[in-house]
Amino acid sequence: MRYMLMPERRETPGDPMPKPSGPSEEGGGPRRPETGSPDKDNLLKRMRKVDPKQAERYRQRTGQ
Amino acid sequence: MHLFGIETEYGITREDLEAVDPVEESMELVRAHLPGKFERRWDYRGEDPHEDARGFRVSGLQQDKEEDDFAKVDAHRPFSFHEMKSDLVLPNGARFYNDHTHPEYSTPECRTLKDLLAHDRAGERIVQRAADRRNQQLGGAHVQLYKNNTDFHGHSYGCHDNYLVSRSLPFAQLVSGLLPFLVSRQLVAGAGKVGMEAQESGFVPGPFQLSQRADFMEAELGVDTMHNRPILNTRDEPHADRTKYRRLHLILGDANMCEYATALKVGITRLVLDLLQRGVVPNLELEQPVAAIKQLSRDPDLKTTVRLRDGRTISGLAIQEEYWNAASRCCAGSDQDADWVLREWQETLSLLRQDRAPLVGKLDWVTKQWLLETFMREERLAWEDPWLASLDLEYHNVNPDRGLFLGLEAEGKTWRMTSERDIAQALATGPSDTRGGLRGLCVRRFSEQITGMQWERVQFAGGLRARTLEMGDLFEPDAVQACAALLEAAASPADALAAWTTRKDG
Repeated sequence: MRYMLMPERRETPGDPMPKPSGPSEEGGGPRRPETGSPDKDNLLKRMRKVDPKQAERYRQRTGQ
Repeated sequence: MHLFGIETEYGITREDLEAVDPVEESMELVRAHLPGKFERRWDYRGEDPHEDARGFRVSGLQQDKEEDDFAKVDAHRPFSFHEMKSDLVLPNGARFYNDHTHPEYSTPECRTLKDLLAHDRAGERIVQRAADRRNQQLGGAHVQLYKNNTDFHGHSYGCHDNYLVSRSLPFAQLVSGLLPFLVSRQLVAGAGKVGMEAQESGFVPGPFQLSQRADFMEAELGVDTMHNRPILNTRDEPHADRTKYRRLHLILGDANMCEYATALKVGITRLVLDLLQRGVVPNLELEQPVAAIKQLSRDPDLKTTVRLRDGRTISGLAIQEEYWNAASRCCAGSDQDADWVLREWQETLSLLRQDRAPLVGKLDWVTKQWLLETFMREERLAWEDPWLASLDLEYHNVNPDRGLFLGLEAEGKTWRMTSERDIAQALATGPSDTRGGLRGLCVRRFSEQITGMQWERVQFAGGLRARTLEMGDLFEPDAVQACAALLEAAASPADALAAWTTRKDG
C-alpha cells in the first residue's frame, strides 16, 4: 500500500469537510483534519512507548 | 422511520496483575461509575436471544454450555447474578453494564448521525471516567480499556449496530438484499487488524487486513453471537411492538474510533434499508459470503474479486458502488443525513480507488495502516513483529494519555463531526426526539420511583394508578416530545402517565 504518498498529504489534502446542508451544521459541525505538518515525532514517541509484548499478554473472554 | 443505536463491548485489562479476573474487573469498572450503592433496575424479561427471525425458536445457543460452565464457576463468587451484571441505565438513556465479562455501553436510540456520534463518544468518556475512578481506588493506572474487537488470541467481542425495521419487510428479502452489502461494508467501516485469527484458535502474526471481525464470521445466518457467528444475526428481539417492528441486530461490524467511519457505517446501512423498503436493492448474490468476507478483509489493496452465483466476479468496491448507485437514485433529497451520506460515500469509494491518503483520520483501517507502516519504516520492522499487534491494540486504547488514535485526534489529524459541547450534552441527556431521551429523563426526574426498566418500557412504583410508560411504539418525534413535556411538568410519574394516557386517548 502506497503510503509513500503520505508527505503529499500536507500539500494536497482531500477535502473531508462536508458541504453545506450536511447533518451537522449546528453546534460544532464537522472539522477537517489540520493540514499542517503532522507532528509525527510526538506520535512516534507515543508508539515507541508501547510494550512490544503487550498484545501477547492481553487476554479476554469471548464476548458477543 | 429511522432509529439506530450502537452497543460496544470494551476489552478490559489490569496491567499490575499476572492473571486478571475478567468478571470482577468488568463489574468493578461499571460500579466505579456509580457515586452510591448499586440498585438493581434492569428488567431482563424483554430479552430472549432464542427467538429466531426466520420464524422459530431455537432450543439452545452454542454458547449455552460455555455460559453454564462459567455460571457454575461464578456461583462461588460472593456476588449475585445481578450484582455481576451491574446493569445501569444512565441519565442520558444509555445502558452501561457488564456483558460476558466486557463493560458494555449501549447508546440510547438516535435518529440522526450526529446524535449517534455524540453518544458513541460519550460512551468512550463514561467508560474511561469509570477506569480513572477505579484506578484511583487501586492507586495506579492499572486498568486499561480498549474499544476494539479482539485479544489477538482468538477471542472476539462485539460492536453491534442496531436499526428499527418495519416487520412488513419479509426477512428473506432483508437477507438477500443485505448480504453482499454487509460483506463489503468493511471497506468503509473496517477498523483494521494485524495478522489473522480463528475463533479460539490462536493468532497468526502477519499482514494487515481491513477488519477485526471478518476472521470470526463463520455462517451466513444464525441466531448465535458468541460462536459460529453469522454475517447476519437472526435474533428476533425487537425491543418494540413485535407486530410492527424488527430490530436488525448486526454483529459483524468493528468498533470504530474514527467518527467518520462510524457515521458512514451506520449511514450507508440506513440507506440500504431504505432501498430494501422500496424494493430497489441491487440484484447481487454472492456464491460464498462467508469466504468472501474473509477474502475481502485480507486484501488491503482492494483488488480481490469474489464470485457471484451467476458466475460473474466482482470486487468489494464494485459491490459498494452498485449499492451507492441504487441509493443515489432512490434516496437523494430524502433528508440531510441521506444527502451527506450519499456525498461522502461516493467520495470515499472514489478515494479508495485512487489515493487513500486523504482518508487518514477518517477511516480506521486506512489510518491504522498508515500509522503502522510509518512505524515499520522508522523501526525497520516486518508485519510479523509482535510489536505491531501491540500497536494495533493500543490504537484502540480509550485512555487519552496512551491511545494512538486519541493521540492523533489530539493533534487535530482526525475528522470530527462532534464538538466537545455535543459530547458534554450527550453525557447529560438523551436525544430529544427518541424514546432514549425519555428513558434518560425518567432517570433524571424520577429515579427513586423507578422499579424496572428495559428498552421499551419504564416501570414506576405507584399503587393503584397506571405505573408503566410503554414505549414499544413510541417513535414519532412529536409524540416523544409531547411525552417529554408531560414528564418534565408532572409532580410524579403517576401524574405524568395519567396525563399521557389522556393525551393518547384524546
